[in-house]
Amino acid sequence: MKKIKLISFIILFAIVAVFFVSGCKTPKYVVDKSGAQLWGESCARCHNAPSPATYSDDQWSIIMGHMKIKAGLTDLEARKIETFLKSAN
Amino acid sequence: MKKFYVLIFFIGLLVCFSAMAQDSIPITSQVNNPMWGTKKLMITGGAEAVFVSDSSQQGFRNIKFHLAPLVRLGEKLFLISEIEIETKDGVADFGLEQVHLNYAILPDLTVYAGRFLPKFGHYRGMMGEGYLNRFPTDPVGFGDGGIGPLVETGLGIVGGLQMGYSKLNYDFYISNGPHLIANDANMAGNFEYESFLNNNRDMAFGGRVGLLPFANSSLELGLSTLQKTKTGDIHTIYNNVGASWMAYDLSYYHYLTSLKSTVRVYGEYKTMNVDQARYPFDSTVAFKSNKSSAWYVQGSLRPTTFDLQFLNNIEFALRYSKFTTPANAPWGNALINSAGNSIHQWAYGINYWLAWDCLIKFSYQRQSFDGNQFISQVIYRF
Repeated sequence: MKKIKLISFIILFAIVAVFFVSGCKTPKYVVDKSGAQLWGESCARCHNAPSPATYSDDQWSIIMGHMKIKAGLTDLEARKIETFLKSAN
Repeated sequence: MKKFYVLIFFIGLLVCFSAMAQDSIPITSQVNNPMWGTKKLMITGGAEAVFVSDSSQQGFRNIKFHLAPLVRLGEKLFLISEIEIETKDGVADFGLEQVHLNYAILPDLTVYAGRFLPKFGHYRGMMGEGYLNRFPTDPVGFGDGGIGPLVETGLGIVGGLQMGYSKLNYDFYISNGPHLIANDANMAGNFEYESFLNNNRDMAFGGRVGLLPFANSSLELGLSTLQKTKTGDIHTIYNNVGASWMAYDLSYYHYLTSLKSTVRVYGEYKTMNVDQARYPFDSTVAFKSNKSSAWYVQGSLRPTTFDLQFLNNIEFALRYSKFTTPANAPWGNALINSAGNSIHQWAYGINYWLAWDCLIKFSYQRQSFDGNQFISQVIYRF
C-alpha cells in the first residue's frame, strides 16, 4: 500500500513534468502580468500584502529571495514583484 | 546539551554575519569575486501571547518570541534561519527552528541543505504560522502530538514552474526522518518528529507538489508524502518498522464583490500508516493497526472594502477538525476520550487586524473531552 502511494505520487509528478516539458504555451496575458498584479495575487493568497513603503529596496531584495523559496514562486514572478515593490516604495 | 552546542554555534554564526553586515546595508567584502556579489542581512521575527479560560483554568499561557535572520549572500545563495523561545511547558524553551542554505542552480530550481520546516500538507510549514493561522490553536492532529513531520534535517529541491494558465510549485527532500518511539510506555508506536540526528542508516524521502490550476492563483491543490522504510533505532527489533505519511490539501482565496469581502477556504486530510510491531508495553492491549488520520476544514471572511475602517479590520473564522488514533494505542485518544478513538473540535473566531502585521484573535472552541474553551492571542510580526 505504501509503495502504491509512493508510486502514484511519482507518477503524478511525472505526468505534470511531462506536461510541462512538452511545451504547453503560456498565454500572453499571463506572461504580461505586471508586478503589481502578481503582488496582489501571489502575496495576498496567504497573508496581508504590506505597502511597498514598508521596507527599503535592500530589504525587499531579501524578502523576495526568502518568499521565492518559501512560497514556491517562479523566478519571473519573484523578479517582477521585487521590481514593482522597489519602484513603488 | 546538543541543543546548547547548536545554539552556541548558531549565535556565533549570527555574530559573524552581524559583524559583516548591518541591517540590510550591502557590503562589498567579496569585490574581487563577482560570483558572490554583495551580502545583505535582515532580521525578521515575531512575538505572540495567549490567554486561555475554561472550566479548570484561566490565565496567560504560552509566550513566544522568535527571530529569523535572513541573509542574501549573493544572487544565488541565500541563508534562512530561525530561533525560537517559548514558555509552553512552563519554562523558557530555546529551539533552533530552522537553518538552511539555499542555492539557485536554475532560475526555477533551488537546492537547500540544513534543518528546515518540511512542506507536509499546507498547514505545517506554512499556514500553521501564528500570523497566517486564523485561530490561536492548531486543528486537532495538526499541532504537537499530531501527524507528520515538524522539522527535518537533510537536503532538497524547491521551486515553481509556470505551465500555461496553471502553475506548479514543488518541494522534494531527503532527510533523517522521524524516529519510532519504542521504549516509552506512554508513547510506544508514535514518533519523535524533531530529532537533530538520524537513529539508523535509512533516510526518509518526502515532498509536496502544489498545483494552482487558475491563472489568478486563487486555488491550490496539494499532495504531500513522507516515506521511511526503517524508523526504529538501529540494532533493535524495531529497526525495520516502516512508516508512510500522506497529506492532501486545498486552499482557496477570492474577493467577493457582492459582499465586499475576502474569503479564504482551507482544508487538509492526512494519514499515518506504520508497519505492525509489538512493543514491550502492549502485551495486554496490543494495537493491531497503527494507523492515524486527521483532517480539518476552515473558512474565513474579512469585509475588506467597506467604508468603515473598523469593519475592514475584522475577520470572522470557522473551523472543524477531527483526529483519529489507533485503538488501544497508549498515546491514543481513546484513553482520554471515553467516546472512542476520535476527537473532534469546532472553533469559532473573531479577529481584529491592528495593522497588516499585528493581529488579535478571539476564539471559542468546543472539543470532545477537553470541553469548551475561550482562547485569545495577540500576534505581532516584524
